[in-house]
Amino acid sequence: MKPAAFDYLAPRTVAEALDALAAGAQVLAGGQSLLLEMHLQRVHPDLVADINRIPGLDALTVSDGTLTVGALVRHRAFASPGAVPGPLGDLFGRAVGYIAHPPIRTRGTMAGSLAWAHPASEWCALAVALDAVVELRSTRGTREVPAGEYFRGPFQTAREPDELLTAVRYPLLAPDTGVAFTEHRRTGFSFAQVAVGAALTTRDGVITEARIGLANCADRPLRAHAAERALVGAEVSSWAFAAAGETAAEQDAAPVPEPYADVDYRRQVIAVLVARTLREAVPV
Amino acid sequence: MVDRWLRREDERLLTGRGRFVADLRVPGCLDAVFVRSEVAHGTLREADCSAAREVPGVAGAWSAADLPDLPPMPDAPGVEGREWPALVKDRVRYPGEALAVVLGDDRYRAEDGAARVRVRVDPLPAVVTAEEAAGDEVRLFEGRSNVALRGEAGRPIGDEVWERAAVVVESRYRQQLLMPSPMECRTILCVPEGERLTVWSGHQAPHRLRHDLAGLLDRPEESIRVVVPDTGGAFGSKSAVFPEFIAVAWLAVRLGRPVRWVEDRRESLLVATRGRGQDQQVRLAADADGRLLAYELTVEADVGAYPHLGVAFPMQTAWMATGPYTTPEVHATVRSVLTNTMITYPYRGAGRPEATSPLERTMDVLAKRLDLDPADLRRRNLIPPDRFPYRTPTGRTYDSGDHPAALDLALRTLGYHGWRAEQARRRADPAALPVGIGLSCYVERSGGERGSVHDYVGVEAGEDGTVVARCGAASSGQSHATVFPALVAETLGVEPARVRLIEGDTDELPGGVGSFGSRSAQIDGAGLQHAATLLIEEARERAARMWDLPIEETAWSDGVVHPVRGTAAMGLSELVKRTGPLRIDERYEADMAFPFGAHAAVVEVDPDLGTVRVLQIVAVDDCGRALDPAVVRGQQFGSIVQGLGQALYEGVPFGDDGVPLLGYGLLDYLLPTYAEIPPIDLEETRTPTPRTPLGAKGAGESGCIGTPPAIVNAVADALRLDHPERLQMPLSPDVVWRAAA
Repeated sequence: MKPAAFDYLAPRTVAEALDALAAGAQVLAGGQSLLLEMHLQRVHPDLVADINRIPGLDALTVSDGTLTVGALVRHRAFASPGAVPGPLGDLFGRAVGYIAHPPIRTRGTMAGSLAWAHPASEWCALAVALDAVVELRSTRGTREVPAGEYFRGPFQTAREPDELLTAVRYPLLAPDTGVAFTEHRRTGFSFAQVAVGAALTTRDGVITEARIGLANCADRPLRAHAAERALVGAEVSSWAFAAAGETAAEQDAAPVPEPYADVDYRRQVIAVLVARTLREAVPV
Repeated sequence: MVDRWLRREDERLLTGRGRFVADLRVPGCLDAVFVRSEVAHGTLREADCSAAREVPGVAGAWSAADLPDLPPMPDAPGVEGREWPALVKDRVRYPGEALAVVLGDDRYRAEDGAARVRVRVDPLPAVVTAEEAAGDEVRLFEGRSNVALRGEAGRPIGDEVWERAAVVVESRYRQQLLMPSPMECRTILCVPEGERLTVWSGHQAPHRLRHDLAGLLDRPEESIRVVVPDTGGAFGSKSAVFPEFIAVAWLAVRLGRPVRWVEDRRESLLVATRGRGQDQQVRLAADADGRLLAYELTVEADVGAYPHLGVAFPMQTAWMATGPYTTPEVHATVRSVLTNTMITYPYRGAGRPEATSPLERTMDVLAKRLDLDPADLRRRNLIPPDRFPYRTPTGRTYDSGDHPAALDLALRTLGYHGWRAEQARRRADPAALPVGIGLSCYVERSGGERGSVHDYVGVEAGEDGTVVARCGAASSGQSHATVFPALVAETLGVEPARVRLIEGDTDELPGGVGSFGSRSAQIDGAGLQHAATLLIEEARERAARMWDLPIEETAWSDGVVHPVRGTAAMGLSELVKRTGPLRIDERYEADMAFPFGAHAAVVEVDPDLGTVRVLQIVAVDDCGRALDPAVVRGQQFGSIVQGLGQALYEGVPFGDDGVPLLGYGLLDYLLPTYAEIPPIDLEETRTPTPRTPLGAKGAGESGCIGTPPAIVNAVADALRLDHPERLQMPLSPDVVWRAAA
């Protein structure tokens, strides 16, 4: 398959990019989803705005307890130890290896994943679990949308067609937070059938805070609120984690059937993975 | 020694200098794109190409109605009354069937045109399994049954045999549809020049393609030249003429312009030939000591929408149903049933994996029933080496074999007893993941069926001291350019560098059969060795005449003819200069052979998730004489990985509308990649076939045949399953989890 004819623009400033978007352009960053869809002729943009030459969008900065990830930060940036401080960096480092394969991690971007909003995306699940905020800019202005309100369905987000996702912001995790990420998939390079990211804090063997992000457990990324509520105040135990897994599978998740993973099987995997991820996330 | 095993192809291919059909630069060439049905089964109401013709860069666009003279696919046995048109005329019978063809200055423009073709297909109910289709509630051809062929091998087994047996195991298995998935999909480039038509195609059988195209285009075979350039794999899927080939060749001739079709992956997953596709039912009877008494195999074969090509292939499964055992009574019956899928056709293994898998899986169930070690059960029944040639109840005469030696070597290589001890240890530890050990003994058929086990071979000595070997094989990646010159050089006693191979070009060869069914080393290899031997004889005769000696007084060594007594000697170059051209052309006839072996797999299963981790695979394969051990190992390895694919990953899921759910290509159809490849230990035994002086048997299909049941048996063993029917391939995690529950 070949893409239909399109015009190509490489803006040098965000303002130029926003003008192009206002004129109907689709954004090319890492190109790992857009180009495939264009080749499959599922999208037919008349204009593609390649933002790779805009200075400053590749910045990864920390200030005042907040991590800001620019629109051009590639997946592989998070594989470097120390790129992001503390447990948040540890969690990103555990998740990034599950994203596709090395060439895709070299080109693709975290912001692109959030803009594309594949239900199986690892970054999207972490964004909702970690209370990320998405920065959207257009010629009309700038707004910030919490990740919990940003995802609307498969490949559907709160982003308007003329908005550029310029940055994602995450609050850093407290130094005593334990983190883990697990994923279940059929081959090393296939999409997650289920992926789970978790962050836990405990005091004296009692769970004080729990964050659980679920990928491919519904038509959009989920935060397992019911399971988290059940955990807070509970003692750290395999039993508590198994119960949280059941809760996540039965109450939080809304699995969609697909070949090789019907709803029953999905719920089973969610329950098992959530329990295993929590066990691994217990701070030492 | 190193030189001999260095593949000649490697430097060129690894430095990007390979030339595949898509790489050929032809001025004025048009690219073809097909408009394909999104409906599996339906009535074509409209295919309007007028808007496509207005697209800039589009040279033309046609539906079947625009091309009333376009010939249909050539007739094949069983096809009467079931015509397969090159473009759909009125009825769509499989998803992706071509509704129109668009030619453009390049693929981009042709696709832009294809997007403008207006098509309307009214859907009909689609049937995608043999079981569904066999009832004829939905007929693919009006007034004709979907059951296209019935066949059997062996004689029916009397009731008393089953009644007398100490144990009878009954089971059902599914051999799922698989995509052959070569790296390069199908290709054809047709270049008309005056009265001649040159056809470039990544193809397994250039002479067959020439013959078919000549018939379709109604022109003499000599007016067509078929050339096979570098070809990126085939695995059985590139040995025929296809509807798209007809449209491309016909339009190239009609327009007087070069036309090329390069199938892309998305098309390939829709419309490339599929392999396997059998629903099977078995009965296996044994006495209390585990001696096999009778085996019955019933096959419902899904052969796809048109019975042209694959309709009789399930008979291969019936003929090979006996396997490597001395079972006195074996009966296999086959029904080939039309369904709304692209046709089923040979895919690496072609009927033998489908024979091995149900038998080997049932052997493990029998062992469990009898409380015997599965290795012991097999040993009690394997055909002993002194019983060859062995005639089976299903009509095969196996040439040679030492099955117990292969099994013992596999068990030793695996460390069978060590793994059994580890299994016991884990079973005693509730925290440990279970491991299972699976075995599979197989025998397969290589070379082809009687009537096709021959090929053209030739060897020619040049004045410059070089030697040209020619044969009717066609490499799609099997290193013929390395292996065959080395074999001819070894036979002649000259440096391999002096010998080069010509194949895959109908203008360069007086005839040829091609490469499929693991035949090239066995038939063409033996033929080239034979031709080289004839060349030596001819050289000695000429020298004898020159020297006025009886031929017995001449000898040949190291590429030189010399008198038995005396010091005179003459190389090939000198001999040709003195006596004229020296060329041998032969039609070499051989016979089928029966490679065999034993495979073993160890797996670890996570029952909570259903995931299978393959810890080790051992393959002992016997292909007789291995011409080039490195190339044979490559074949073993590759076919094992494809076997792993059938066991664990690959399958074609269908939606309710009968359309495969493979919209994201290889993200949906999961091939094993390097991340999935477990440790593989390759071993061999060597039992040359007595049917040729060379002794080589086919080596290319062993892994697809031996590996899948070894892996499935290992999973069943890990889970201690009494009902292995719940394990149907591919063993995706959901299947294993359900079976474990």
